Amino acid sequence: MSEALREALTDTASARPAATAATRPATRTAPRTAPAATTPRRRQPWVVHALLAAGAVVMVFPFAWQLLTAFKTFQASVQVPPSILPDPWVFTNFGEVFASMPFGSMFLNSVLLTVLRTAGQVVLCTMAGYAFARLSFPGRNVIFVAFLSVLMVPTQLYLLPQYEIVQALGWLDSLPGLVMPGIFSAFGTFLMRQFFMSLPAELEEAARLDGANPWQAFSRVMVPLARPGIVALTVFTVLWSWNDLLWPLVVTTSPEKMPLSVGLAQMVGLHGTDFPVLMAGALLATLPMLVTFMVLQRQFIQGIAFTGSKG
Amino acid sequence: MRHSAPRRYAAAVLALAPALALTACAGDDGTAAADGPVTLTYGIWDKNQEPAMRQIADAFTETHPDVTVEIELTPFADYWTKLRTAVSGGTGPDVFWMNGPNIQAYASNGALEPLADLDTSGYPQGLVDLYTVDGTVYGAPKDFDTIGVWYNKDLFDAAGVEYPADDWTWDDYVETAERLTDPDKGVWGSAAALNDQQNYYDTIAQAGAEVISSDGTTTGYGTPEALTGLEFWTDQIAAGLSPTQEQMTDTSPETLFTSGKVAMYWSGSWSAVAYDSNEAVAESVDVAPLPAGPEGNQSVIHGVGNVVNAGGEHKDVAAQFAAFASSEEAATIQAEAGAVIPAYTGTQQAWVDAMPQYHLDVFIDALETAVPYPASRNTSAWTSVQDEVLTQVWSGNLEPAEGNAQLGEQVQAALDAEQE
Repeated sequence: MSEALREALTDTASARPAATAATRPATRTAPRTAPAATTPRRRQPWVVHALLAAGAVVMVFPFAWQLLTAFKTFQASVQVPPSILPDPWVFTNFGEVFASMPFGSMFLNSVLLTVLRTAGQVVLCTMAGYAFARLSFPGRNVIFVAFLSVLMVPTQLYLLPQYEIVQALGWLDSLPGLVMPGIFSAFGTFLMRQFFMSLPAELEEAARLDGANPWQAFSRVMVPLARPGIVALTVFTVLWSWNDLLWPLVVTTSPEKMPLSVGLAQMVGLHGTDFPVLMAGALLATLPMLVTFMVLQRQFIQGIAFTGSKG
Repeated sequence: MRHSAPRRYAAAVLALAPALALTACAGDDGTAAADGPVTLTYGIWDKNQEPAMRQIADAFTETHPDVTVEIELTPFADYWTKLRTAVSGGTGPDVFWMNGPNIQAYASNGALEPLADLDTSGYPQGLVDLYTVDGTVYGAPKDFDTIGVWYNKDLFDAAGVEYPADDWTWDDYVETAERLTDPDKGVWGSAAALNDQQNYYDTIAQAGAEVISSDGTTTGYGTPEALTGLEFWTDQIAAGLSPTQEQMTDTSPETLFTSGKVAMYWSGSWSAVAYDSNEAVAESVDVAPLPAGPEGNQSVIHGVGNVVNAGGEHKDVAAQFAAFASSEEAATIQAEAGAVIPAYTGTQQAWVDAMPQYHLDVFIDALETAVPYPASRNTSAWTSVQDEVLTQVWSGNLEPAEGNAQLGEQVQAALDAEQE
């Protein structure tokens, strides 16, 4: 092992926490200010907790309402004044969900849609972001600006052209038609480019000096360093794919090809909606995301802190 | 099947070539043989009517064994977005539901196949006219709805007020509302909802004005008659006989009605099946004809039509199905399901009989004087103006006279723009 690479690898070890820390200014400043506010302000945490608890209640309320409505009769769900607790508790709404739509295949479609889109975005956007950040090729900046301009265009505007392309490919009402337009995004490319730009160039130069080709430098050195950025990209893509409604609604026509988001939208009637059944369906559709969040809570928060928005 | 082979957009295909290679294995999902059996798709927007539509589709397959009909349900909120995209792209369902505000735009853009062979004698003239554009029939009337006054009998009994008479007038209506209003109990006599078809389109007609003339070129907004029709409602809010616009935004007027907070609520025939299946009101509500204004008690009539996609592959079979889905046999299936009044003359009694506890003949009798649903070539251009101005009038930020005058100018301007 050469001197340069060894040095680079030692740097990698120290650069990793530095990179993560830089992405989390909030968590770094908090401990710093805490010692300054010492004993005289000991009651402050309680105030903070009370405020946070109030915020939590506000955030949790819609979910609680959804949960409770799923166990109500239709009549109880629309009565004025509203009742908080179901009376009586009914458990048939969940059965109704399964009876009124092919929940299993819709669930599978949602999972496939989410997994394939996310895999596509992680691979393609990471590679494209790296190319824009580190490789020099003619017209790089022009192409990148063209990419960015896509971010300014509202989805509704390219709905029709995108539909016509998918139609010409014979992908209407099929899994590829659902997945393909989402396997790549200007946002993801931008996100990853910014992340790669923030990594020190010396690491890569060291690898190149040791004879690594661009692909090896990318895959062995840069990708492992870009892990926080990739996690953020994954979080965004998973949430966006799972909740995506407009495109799946337009491109799918048969219930067996639809994801859950479209199935739920179909339960809304013109002159009347069975809210308890709809809420039961929505609850079932939210559960996988909820479980995922609880399991990957730390990564979610990191991802959100990194980009400063929650999509 | 509807999976057409790549023909156009060669550039797009090239651009996506790597992507193609990626999923080449997933592209082929076993399309059926092209000859022989025909599969039609039928686009609808109401989940509650899906079972009846399924029965009609199956009945068609019985007489046409080589034709199967798939039902494509899209919720109304997204129905038009999806339809516009699919039809512009040259696909879309073979047969689909159409409504009054959209028929002229679709027909005049060549998206619909004329129904030359349709026998229109079996349908009310107002509905045939709605789906006739420049002298050509494009839609087979499927159903219709008219408006009535739904009222809560329990609230009438509690206040000691007699139920509405069939020949009541606006003055009777306001007086009844006054007697039913009880602020202590939180009960309002009426709900002056900001609903076009259910409320002010009807009262404007009853006052003697046309929201849009039948040829779609002039508006009645701006006339004193239209103002009378609008003030019928705004006066109720001002007098406290109705919840305010703010309160009705918080809780929908219909929810207030089914919760026993509003005694009289103007709504369509479509509400019958909803009330019938809601235990809270099933036995305690009934329906009366609209009260008569200066020029009578006209109701607006609207109905869905079955139309054929001009871009479909099997237009002949599609036209046969569209006609069948509006036929006497299909009408009878719809009538028994109860969701809507079938358009085919003579089949309505089955709908009336389906929910005998309500005086549903009110909605059939309304046909005699019913006026067409206001529509033009680009309906949404002036309805958006109408919604914006009337929201201010209803919330009290704009005097009704001033709002009416503004509508007279702006709606007319939108109509003039269509003619250019």
